[in-house]
Amino acid sequence: MNGNEHDRAIDLLMRHDVEGIADGDARWLEMHLQECEECASFDRAMSDAAHAVRSVTVLASVALVESTRARVHVRAQQLREQQARTMLIAVSFCLGVVTSTLTAWVWWEFGGWVADRLGLPSGIVEPGVLLFWLLPAIVIAVLMVTCPPTLFEGSLMQRYMKDRLRGL
Amino acid sequence: MVAAAFSSLITMETEEAQIATGLRRRDPDVLDALIEQFQHRLLRYLAHMTGNRATAEDLFQDTWIRVLEKGHQYDGKSRFATWLMTIAHNVAIDHLRKRNPASLDEMRDAEDAAPFEPVATGPSPFEHAAAAEEKAQIQGALDELPPIFREVLVLRFQEQMKLEEIAKLVGIPLATVKTRLYRGVMALRPTLGGGAL
Repeated sequence: MNGNEHDRAIDLLMRHDVEGIADGDARWLEMHLQECEECASFDRAMSDAAHAVRSVTVLASVALVESTRARVHVRAQQLREQQARTMLIAVSFCLGVVTSTLTAWVWWEFGGWVADRLGLPSGIVEPGVLLFWLLPAIVIAVLMVTCPPTLFEGSLMQRYMKDRLRGL
Repeated sequence: MVAAAFSSLITMETEEAQIATGLRRRDPDVLDALIEQFQHRLLRYLAHMTGNRATAEDLFQDTWIRVLEKGHQYDGKSRFATWLMTIAHNVAIDHLRKRNPASLDEMRDAEDAAPFEPVATGPSPFEHAAAAEEKAQIQGALDELPPIFREVLVLRFQEQMKLEEIAKLVGIPLATVKTRLYRGVMALRPTLGGGAL
């Protein structure tokens, strides 16, 4: 009997419970176990270990399950709110980009017309139009920096998100 | 027989696909059902991993939160139980790494004196006491094992996982799984009455 046979027997013993082994392998293993005390001993040790591990029972209490469910529900709600907020920001950003792009030419022409009417030098017109074009974003940015966060995260935003979530 | 096996396979695929869809939607009903279905298995695995019931209960909750957050990553092609145990394994490893960054081989809490709750069995007080003593002895033997062996034994004998599944879950080669299983079995042998070879 050589080392390869022992290795094969150990491998088959490890697999026969869960994966299952072929009939030929099972017959060979049976014969091998009759002849090899070392592998037969490992077979018994495997059975004892399996029995021992299975005999240890850990049960989750009702309180644990309920508190887990509650935590999961709260977190799910937080994630949904976060998703709604991200969606709102993404939509606002896209709308901003689209309207800015579409109206850029109109504002440029309007700036030129005003400068022409008022007789302003052309060096002022370009930065002026740019400033006017970016004015809404600048105003919002200044408000967000200077005003308390509740102005944005509070009433209006939250009411919007609650309505959205109710609709989901 | 083949038809029955095929039907069972289809049912399992449908079930796993339904779970995947529910997790992608973060459906609370699906999560409730999963918590109900896997509560004992998951807690048992974590208790064996950490060797401490209180820690296992904390990690149990963290695991389900992570299932919720990472649910979109489950594709429904593999068994949900395996995916869940992988999440639990990672949660436990993260926890143990925070507690003891030096060595993950000692995957055991310092306060691991609290034993698991054995199920009360035995019709008479004597049998009850004898069974409890035997379980305590077995539990003691398991607690003595290094966690890396204990984990493989639990996944194999309690979860009935294939060796390849264990290798994937734990993130080790198949040969290492076999070695850990062999060494775990042999380490339990003296306590379980097998004696030396």
